Amino acid sequence: MGVRGRRTRLPRSVPSWFRSGHRELGLCLLIAAVLVGIGMVDPRFHSTGTWNDLLVRSAPTMIVACGVTLVVLTGEIDVSVGSQMAFLAAILGTMVSRTEWNLSPWIGLPATLAAGAAIGMLNGILVTIGRVPSIVATLGVMTALRGATTWMMGGSNIEGLPDALTRAAKQGLFRAGPPLGVVVAAGTAFVCYLLLHHMPLGRHLYAVGGGREAARLAGLSEIRLKWFAFAVTGFLVALATIVDVPRLPKIEAGIGVDFELLVITCVVVGGVSISGGRGRLGGVLLAVLLMTLIRPVLTFLEIGESGEKWAKAVQGVMILAAVLSDRAASRGVRREP
Amino acid sequence: MRRRLSSRLFATYLFLAMWIGASGCGSSSPESKNSGGAAHSKRTVCLLPKIKGISYFTSCHRGAVEAADELGDIELIYDGPIDGDPKKQAEMIEQWTVDGVDVICVAPNAPDVVANAMREARAAGIHVITWDADGTADSRSFFVNQATAESIGRGMVKAMVDDLGPDAEGDVVIISSDATSANQNAWIDVMKPALAESRLRLATIKYPGENASNALADAKDVLQKYEALKGIFGISSVAFPGAAEGVEQAGKSGQVLVTGLSTPNDMRRYVKNGTVKSVVLWNTIDLGYLTVRVASALARGDLKEGATTFDAGRLGTLRVVGDHVVLGDIIVFTRDNIDQYDF
Amino acid sequence: MRRAERRRSPFAWWHEGALLALLVALLGIASVCVPSFLRLENQLLLSRHLWEMAILAIGMTMIVITGGIDLSVGSMMGLCAVTLGMTYAATSSIAAGCLACLAVGIACGALNGLLITRVRVHPLIVTLATMAAFRGVAEGISQGRAYSRFGEPFAVLARGGPGGVPWPGVFFLVMAGIGALILGRTAVGRFLYAIGNNERAARFAGIAVDRVKFGLYTFSGLLAAMATIVYSARFDTAKADAGKGMELDVITAVVVGGTSIFGGRGNLGGTVLGLLLIHETRLFIGRYWKIDELRSIVVGILLIASVLIYRMLARTEDRA
Repeated sequence: MGVRGRRTRLPRSVPSWFRSGHRELGLCLLIAAVLVGIGMVDPRFHSTGTWNDLLVRSAPTMIVACGVTLVVLTGEIDVSVGSQMAFLAAILGTMVSRTEWNLSPWIGLPATLAAGAAIGMLNGILVTIGRVPSIVATLGVMTALRGATTWMMGGSNIEGLPDALTRAAKQGLFRAGPPLGVVVAAGTAFVCYLLLHHMPLGRHLYAVGGGREAARLAGLSEIRLKWFAFAVTGFLVALATIVDVPRLPKIEAGIGVDFELLVITCVVVGGVSISGGRGRLGGVLLAVLLMTLIRPVLTFLEIGESGEKWAKAVQGVMILAAVLSDRAASRGVRREP
Repeated sequence: MRRRLSSRLFATYLFLAMWIGASGCGSSSPESKNSGGAAHSKRTVCLLPKIKGISYFTSCHRGAVEAADELGDIELIYDGPIDGDPKKQAEMIEQWTVDGVDVICVAPNAPDVVANAMREARAAGIHVITWDADGTADSRSFFVNQATAESIGRGMVKAMVDDLGPDAEGDVVIISSDATSANQNAWIDVMKPALAESRLRLATIKYPGENASNALADAKDVLQKYEALKGIFGISSVAFPGAAEGVEQAGKSGQVLVTGLSTPNDMRRYVKNGTVKSVVLWNTIDLGYLTVRVASALARGDLKEGATTFDAGRLGTLRVVGDHVVLGDIIVFTRDNIDQYDF
Repeated sequence: MRRAERRRSPFAWWHEGALLALLVALLGIASVCVPSFLRLENQLLLSRHLWEMAILAIGMTMIVITGGIDLSVGSMMGLCAVTLGMTYAATSSIAAGCLACLAVGIACGALNGLLITRVRVHPLIVTLATMAAFRGVAEGISQGRAYSRFGEPFAVLARGGPGGVPWPGVFFLVMAGIGALILGRTAVGRFLYAIGNNERAARFAGIAVDRVKFGLYTFSGLLAAMATIVYSARFDTAKADAGKGMELDVITAVVVGGTSIFGGRGNLGGTVLGLLLIHETRLFIGRYWKIDELRSIVVGILLIASVLIYRMLARTEDRA
């Protein structure tokens, strides 16, 4: 009953691109299949309206998933991003709303970004210096922040964000042009891509996640790298809050409920190894697109009233299939304990 | 050796200090006075909302505080689950039962789930009433009836049909909460036959949960999907503003009407710009006010079974029909009257 | 292995000592602030808030000891509840409902176990996915309906019990006793610690790691079904949203109880203390301040603080 005993050969029918490491291609084909399929059912799905909205909708998930990818690559996890978003939205709203302090966005936005980075740093300190396992630390932060946000808001909503902010989030910075969220998401993805795949810092993050001892011997500071990843995540949550929350009708304590689950699902479906060190940003971005597609596709399929109650099941089974498929395909190629 | 021991002790005490510090930080709040049955001069009334922290129930709380201040001998406790979990509602009722409070006013988020806890509270001699939504019949003595599931469901459909005109044909969509949300499902059960009587077709029902982003996304998707869409019902505190925002962002204000249940303050913006013609609700401040009035009367023994009228302070004399204290019917807020209300 | 355990024990006892001290301090403060807090009948009555979480925590402790995690326990409860309700509605026999519920629980757990051992995906990922799938299927087949009115004999299950101790409590104590026996006195128990410490080494040492893990996740499914029966009896309702968010509560209790999330260390005694500490903290806040926001703030801080302190203790031990 050793490791060797069960190793099975790869079935011939499984195409090689589907083996681990080729997750991006698999996701691309899956997305293409979904798009072609829904196009045949209802061609109106492929309108500029739907597509524009799809990108706007995926923006916050994409921005935050970039940060969480960094964290997961170092072998840690952050489950507090949803609560962080609610907390930061409350801070943003309190500072810049006409009905609250009515500060200039030039003060409010940097302050929100700083607050986000600070929460991320707190997570990072707990995990690195406090040596609390990240799933525990961020679970605690998630619970506590949600309670704190509800308490802070005292049961009322915040409305009246500055017009510049809501206009930028809904229509774009200028009269034409893409909404702010899409621009910021594209920028974030680009910077993170450069960082991860073309800069020494990215290699160091992989190294820490891939083999802690080896990274230490190579002279890398595990503490500093992990701390950096958590701080970046906090900062990116703040960024996502700024570009996405003004689209919503009001700021309430329930913002970002289950957001952490969505983000982590995207990271995992995107092929990033939960034990760190393996995975690419491209897969995560494609996974975000796929997960964002599910809701509108189900609407356009007209699955009917009782079908709508199966929507969550469809989503769940898709996630299950996505995380199992390429592992099942790559069995015998590489195994993890 | 000594250093090891002292640092362990230090760690233990730090743990203790942090914990006590954390739990002590709320001690300065005004509600910190213990109510454990010792203060007989004041009657303790617990007001349990479906969800704590949303503006609808906060405005009810405003009315409740007003009534408690007026009456003078009421200690009002307002607490509920911040995530709207009916299980936690039941657990809060059980805790208050052990505390021996005088009256518990429940807004059941799932009548079946809280029924056992309410029955036990009654068996322990506590007055239990329901407000906002009714519970199962034997679990409470009175229901402060601002509207029943029947009148809410029919009211929303009527508002939509009136706004569109009686001859309007086309699709409507309901955006609800979760597929398991008891109250929303009860309303939907009423809305379906009511819609069948009209010329509108119920195209689908979406379940975005209590998630504002999902509600907004669902609204935009159905706008794209159904070309003959005439109206959207947003029947949760998240779905209604989400649907209105979606219609406004899609530039279809006035072409696709949105209606649902909400406080006027939350929807004023959308009523003014024409996205929403009618908001169906009741006076939430009066609802909170009346609930505490009824609770107080029960505790004093002024309100008994079989009563037909009830003196409700500033609301005047109200009817009692069976075990329902009737606040009045639903109000439809429109562009013309919405500025008269501030809650 | 025995020696290793013995060498570990001073850590564990310090952590449990700290938890116990904290619990005593909490009960002391609570009984001053709320005079009726310590009354036995009150504690027994309100203990029903605890039992489902406690039953799930037995399996979760063992899973976390092996270095795994089960995020799907709450959703399994949803699926089990729906099964119980639908079977009862079809046969009007509560025994049939419970049997079906147990069968589905075991099947769900076995599915988790199968995916983890055969497909070799990390438990966190498998159960994250099945968490979404089980809940969705539960909503789909029940169409969101609630099943209710299970009749008197079933309700007694949650309300009555020998000498005031509710039946779920008796049941939990028996299960926890068996679990503690397995963990402390049997070869399987040692295997669990071995897997958690170093799975590869455990494999090479000839432990049937896959079989143990498969059994463990199946056991967790069985416990979820049992928790569902308790839950349905307590509320006289079975619906697809049963056990929502329960996984996080249970993991919190297990971690506060001193079980390392990395595996290899922990025991049921600590978990019981962790459960009690969280339960009493919630009760205290619920009965004294009556502010629900505060409950989640304090429980969140408690979770982080307990592990932070343990780490500090362990670090001083390392240096010595």
